[in-house]
Amino acid sequence: MRSPRKFALAALPSALAFAFLCLSLSGPLAAQNRDVDVAVVVHPDTPVSNLSLAEVRKVFLGDRQYWTTNTPVVLLIRAPVARERNVVLKVIYQMSESQFKQYWIAKIFRAESATAPKVVYSNDVANELVTAIPGAIAFIDARDVRPGAKVVRVDGHLPGEPGYPLR
Amino acid sequence: MHSRLLPILVFVLLSSALFAQSAPPASAEPEPSVKSLLDRIQQLEKRISELEDHERKSSSAQAGSSGSPAVAESKPAKAEAMSILPSSEHMATSPAVREAEVHYPSLQIRGFGDVDFSATNEKGTTSGFSLGQFVLHLASPLSSKVRYFGEISFTAQPTTYDLSVERSIIRYDYNDYFKMSFGKYHTPLGYWNTAFHHGAWLQTTISRPEMVRFGGTLIPIHFVGLQAEGNIPSGNLGLGYSVGLGNGRGSVLSKAGDNGDANSNRAWVANVFARPAQFYGLQLGVTVYRDELTPTTGAERREWIEDAYVVYTKERPEFLSEFASVHHTDILTSQVFNSQAFYVQLAYRLPWQENKWKPYYRFEYIHRPESEPDWSVTDLVGSTLGVRYDITNYAAFKGEYRSTRHGVDEPRVNGAFFQTAFTF
Repeated sequence: MRSPRKFALAALPSALAFAFLCLSLSGPLAAQNRDVDVAVVVHPDTPVSNLSLAEVRKVFLGDRQYWTTNTPVVLLIRAPVARERNVVLKVIYQMSESQFKQYWIAKIFRAESATAPKVVYSNDVANELVTAIPGAIAFIDARDVRPGAKVVRVDGHLPGEPGYPLR
Repeated sequence: MHSRLLPILVFVLLSSALFAQSAPPASAEPEPSVKSLLDRIQQLEKRISELEDHERKSSSAQAGSSGSPAVAESKPAKAEAMSILPSSEHMATSPAVREAEVHYPSLQIRGFGDVDFSATNEKGTTSGFSLGQFVLHLASPLSSKVRYFGEISFTAQPTTYDLSVERSIIRYDYNDYFKMSFGKYHTPLGYWNTAFHHGAWLQTTISRPEMVRFGGTLIPIHFVGLQAEGNIPSGNLGLGYSVGLGNGRGSVLSKAGDNGDANSNRAWVANVFARPAQFYGLQLGVTVYRDELTPTTGAERREWIEDAYVVYTKERPEFLSEFASVHHTDILTSQVFNSQAFYVQLAYRLPWQENKWKPYYRFEYIHRPESEPDWSVTDLVGSTLGVRYDITNYAAFKGEYRSTRHGVDEPRVNGAFFQTAFTF
């Protein structure tokens, strides 16, 4: 029979290893969530593949409303609370939720835009709409982008590359 | 036995404590990490419920359309509503896509209102409450390229309400560089007159600057005619333009010629502005305006207005400044009268209490030559100090202290003003 002392000494490295594993896993998992890039996805026929961050901002501010003469821009944005929306508000609009709402009310009733961005409630729906609506542009969590979707480079970078600004 | 186990237990406890204490600075990480994980769990739970809702909707839509061919169902919708979607087959199989379909016309109505209280030391005035303008804004896309905008105001008068069509515009968009519209506008002259329309909730302050006051005559507030506008290809400079041709001022100088011009000379206006990409929030612009005035009383005059502005609209800070120079030339005597006006407004959205507080200050100035006849504008030097508190995303309280002097050698008037402004 093993003495309690021997048992404790034998169990100690295992306990320490388990504690270390927990600590080392929790950090990267959280970091992974924080740092997942948000992809800019457009309808496959949209004639853009690379936009600067300033151009993305111009599109989402409603200052650029047409991709081509016959293709109006259709803005899709996730509903409040979604991480993609938070990234868009922080990086693109640099506005709070309240400022964002006020901005679009004023924009529409200054006669500068006909409609505000269309709200979508999940990345699945965003994927679906951006594929179906000509001129559509959406922000989708890079992990949820469907294979074959047209992802636009922002400042020359794709999601996951160093220097990608939307995260 | 217990005496042997005790040192081991103490060692384990001490080693745990030491492990916790000797952890590198990165050991501060677990707290935000746990928070992030909880956030992620919340997001995933929300997403699951969204997906379940989506699934339920799909099932109910399919159940509702069972028995009739899906493609046949989508065809009447296509004929009735100009769709932004390319494929009716896809529409029929996807409720989400079908919901995104835009029907024309698609009328949106938004109302604005405000309730005010004022008390000043001006002789002959009384303090009290007043109902501000009740305003309805209308916007309706008529097709993917044609849109209508309207604005109607109801203004309280002693015995009735004045109903006024403030704006009524139909616009055709060719592309970003050329948009043509017809109707009644707020004259695209300077910044404030086109940035803030009726509806006090839209602007930071309770009142507009005197130089662009509704019912004022320093600059023409309204304009009936046509306008072309758009972006100018200029890269990061973000240039844009608008040019207009219209009736200009009516025989009552504060009114536009809604039912026809007061003379056969059209007014024209040209405006160029820049929104540099490197300075998001910054806008600079210049405007020139030309008209011939035929007032009910007084001499006919040629009018030439130049306006320049610099604004920064990010709210931390918000900075608005605009200068206008108004030249009138008497057609008979060639006598020239020059008036100048400007305002500078500074506001800052405070970061506390959910960004609800926004204090502001505005200084404004108007000078007009005393020799100019039949011109209701008066000299003005005024300061406004106030604060806006956004109760919700759609309603705000504002309180202001104003100190102004109208005319030369007139006493200064001080007053306190309060307003609750909202949109619905």
